Amino acid sequence: MSASLAETGAAAPRWQDLARLAAERRSAEVESVVVRQLLTFVLDASPYAVPVERVREIVRVRPITPVPRVPSDMCGVISLRGEILEVIDLRLRLRLRAAPRGRASRIIVVHSVGGVAGVLVDGVSEVLAVPEDALRPAAATEAGNVETLCVRGDRFISLIDLDRVLGFDAQR
Amino acid sequence: MRQDLTDLNEERVAGESVDPDVVNRLFRSAHSLKGLAGLFGFDPIQDLAHRVEDILDGLRLGRVALALPVVALIDESVHLFASLLEQIGDEEALAAAAEPIGRLAERIQAARETPAAKSEFGDLALEPSVLRALTEYEEHRLRENIRRGRHICLIDSTFEIISFEEGLSQLTTAIREVGEVLSTLPAPGAAPEAQIRFSLLVASDTPAGEVASRLGLAAGAVRLVQAGAPSAAAVASPAAARPSGIAGAGEGAAGAHRDSGESSESESLKSISDTVRVDIHKLDELMNLVGELVIQRGAIGELVARLSADTATARIGSDFAKVHKTLDRKLRELQSAVLDVRMVPLSQVFEKISRVVRRLRSDLGKDVRLELRGADTELDKLIVEELVDPLMHVVRNALDHAIEPREERIAGGKDPEGRIRIEAFQRGNHVVIAVADDGRGVDTAALRALAEAKGLLQPGDVLSEREALDLMFSPGISTRSEVTETSGRGVGMDVVHTNLTALGGVVDVESTPGRGTTISMILPITLAIIQSLIVVVARQRFAIPLNAVHETLLIDGSEIQRSEGRELLNLRGEALPLRRLAVEFDLPAASPEAKSFVVVIGLGETRMGLLVDRLDGQQDTVIKPIQGPIPVVRGIAGATELGDQEPVLVLDVSALLADLGRRRETL
Repeated sequence: MSASLAETGAAAPRWQDLARLAAERRSAEVESVVVRQLLTFVLDASPYAVPVERVREIVRVRPITPVPRVPSDMCGVISLRGEILEVIDLRLRLRLRAAPRGRASRIIVVHSVGGVAGVLVDGVSEVLAVPEDALRPAAATEAGNVETLCVRGDRFISLIDLDRVLGFDAQR
Repeated sequence: MRQDLTDLNEERVAGESVDPDVVNRLFRSAHSLKGLAGLFGFDPIQDLAHRVEDILDGLRLGRVALALPVVALIDESVHLFASLLEQIGDEEALAAAAEPIGRLAERIQAARETPAAKSEFGDLALEPSVLRALTEYEEHRLRENIRRGRHICLIDSTFEIISFEEGLSQLTTAIREVGEVLSTLPAPGAAPEAQIRFSLLVASDTPAGEVASRLGLAAGAVRLVQAGAPSAAAVASPAAARPSGIAGAGEGAAGAHRDSGESSESESLKSISDTVRVDIHKLDELMNLVGELVIQRGAIGELVARLSADTATARIGSDFAKVHKTLDRKLRELQSAVLDVRMVPLSQVFEKISRVVRRLRSDLGKDVRLELRGADTELDKLIVEELVDPLMHVVRNALDHAIEPREERIAGGKDPEGRIRIEAFQRGNHVVIAVADDGRGVDTAALRALAEAKGLLQPGDVLSEREALDLMFSPGISTRSEVTETSGRGVGMDVVHTNLTALGGVVDVESTPGRGTTISMILPITLAIIQSLIVVVARQRFAIPLNAVHETLLIDGSEIQRSEGRELLNLRGEALPLRRLAVEFDLPAASPEAKSFVVVIGLGETRMGLLVDRLDGQQDTVIKPIQGPIPVVRGIAGATELGDQEPVLVLDVSALLADLGRRRETL
């Protein structure tokens, strides 16, 4: 009994030291670099992203009821646990080529300044934690839908300006 | 109470002294009985209880001697109480009991007037200030203890202010071992800082010196007030049996009094609170849940149909169908019960309006009589809330614009006093609230001129009288040229229209120049679950609220007639304007020759027929708003679920009807 106690007694400080070191290292990292968490997805084979905090949920494509006399980039409405949400085809909204929905297609339910809406994308990729300094302002395009570009290796990911793309206040 | 009375009787038989505890208990019982009787309006019982309480109070304070007649009286009262309590609810028996109660009460009153002998405390070594501080009950206990020849002493004790309650309670408990605490008094004279001194008046069979040593106090702390008889019987102190805590005897009695009052009050609260105030949002939640259950029931219905259709599962399907039917019925009951909870009468709104009218009447200096009818008409709480502003606006308008000044009314040969009548009544699934005035009526020519000035109307446009009246609901229209404080800055009636439309209601105007205007607001009774007719156009389903559907017809393409390029149907001699839903919503149209269904919709006076491909039965629907960045086209009120995941759009009948008129103008 005394032997085992001695062993734990000897081992304990080492474990504690390790844990403390790990914690210090982690908090130091957080302090020095502001990390943005982004949900990345695919549109027309290119990577795009929205801030994770704007995403409420990701759902599979379900029956979408078309709504008459609305712009063509609105697919229609879906029912999500009793809520009726509009679904915007992000390809069409960003003036990309139209394409049929595939197996990988998803509806990302996002918060925007004006409320909640669903956006249809070709497929959801991953959640990325990128340091703030990896973000580059996007070159001004005529659409102005891309807020910043995020560098990942030698690839750019377009971070979408949701408020602008969904244009709640512009249209309501 | 009976048990206590038995105790009291035993005590009377046993000896001369009264256990204060028993009397106090009886007193409390009588007191709460009195309270309860008063609460339920049993006046005879209340009166008797009051008398018994009196006599017990007398007994408690030693004013009434404990003697056989007194106990017998109380005993009789208790028996009477028991029989009265059994007869509660029986008015006649209660009335018959009034007489014996009266007699008993008189006898009790007589018994009370025989007071117990009073003794003076002059020979006690007590400061007059202490004597004066004693309550009547405490005096009585003092007297009683002296009579029994017990030692009376005053114990001084000092406690830390922070912990005195605990210390005092410990001391009191210790004293109970040797005697009775007659009174606890703050001691005269200054106490050291942060300390508090008490004097406890104690009666004991033990001599003062021994009391001090038993309590572990300095001999000087216990001062003998009056030495008792050396032969004092070592009866157990009645106080030792008393449950009262740290408080002195007097406070205990007062506490008992208070307690009994409180207990009767709390009982009264229990018995009268059969209403509950509920946050309307909680009801909304409940309603939502019921709504979803109703939708799920629809899904189960479909499963039942599928099971029944397959021969392999037909048997289980039919059993399932029975269960489904019961579920259906119970759900309907639940639904109507929850709806019922949400219903409130219009009386509150009416009261508000009368207040405003009273104030406006004096502000505007107009003689107006307000008549209110149907205040008990019930509407969904939410609708009532939303209704207040539009209704108020209409009433203000009537008062401010419609009712002429007194002189003008006299000149026009009218009653100098104007009249506004608000009438509410139920009509099917709707409630109609009509505001009628006997004022000057709506000047449609002025309305037209204004509409033309605002560019809402072209000078050449031909309008029917009704269409001209409807112009008052257009934004920015007010017939009075000057802006008044009360109503009208050009905003108003259009807001009324918008608000009511949002509630699924409509506004109707009727006006006769010089005679008056009636504005009718027609509202659905509830916003929650509604029955809808499901129609199919170009393979897409739409729901039409059933309360707006008058009938459905199957017609042949050849029956459709045309006038000025618009389609019409001869409906029992009336021209029913037709609209093709496919055309309205840019959907692929069926061939015009095919048979199609006409859904005759209407709210208020306007009617129209909607051409659809197919009817798909009735369903319970909960209309939900569509959330998202794109404004949904006019004519769609929201969407609903029908058990499958695919939402179905719900038509906005009032908007469709309004557009019917509008198109007539533009075409």
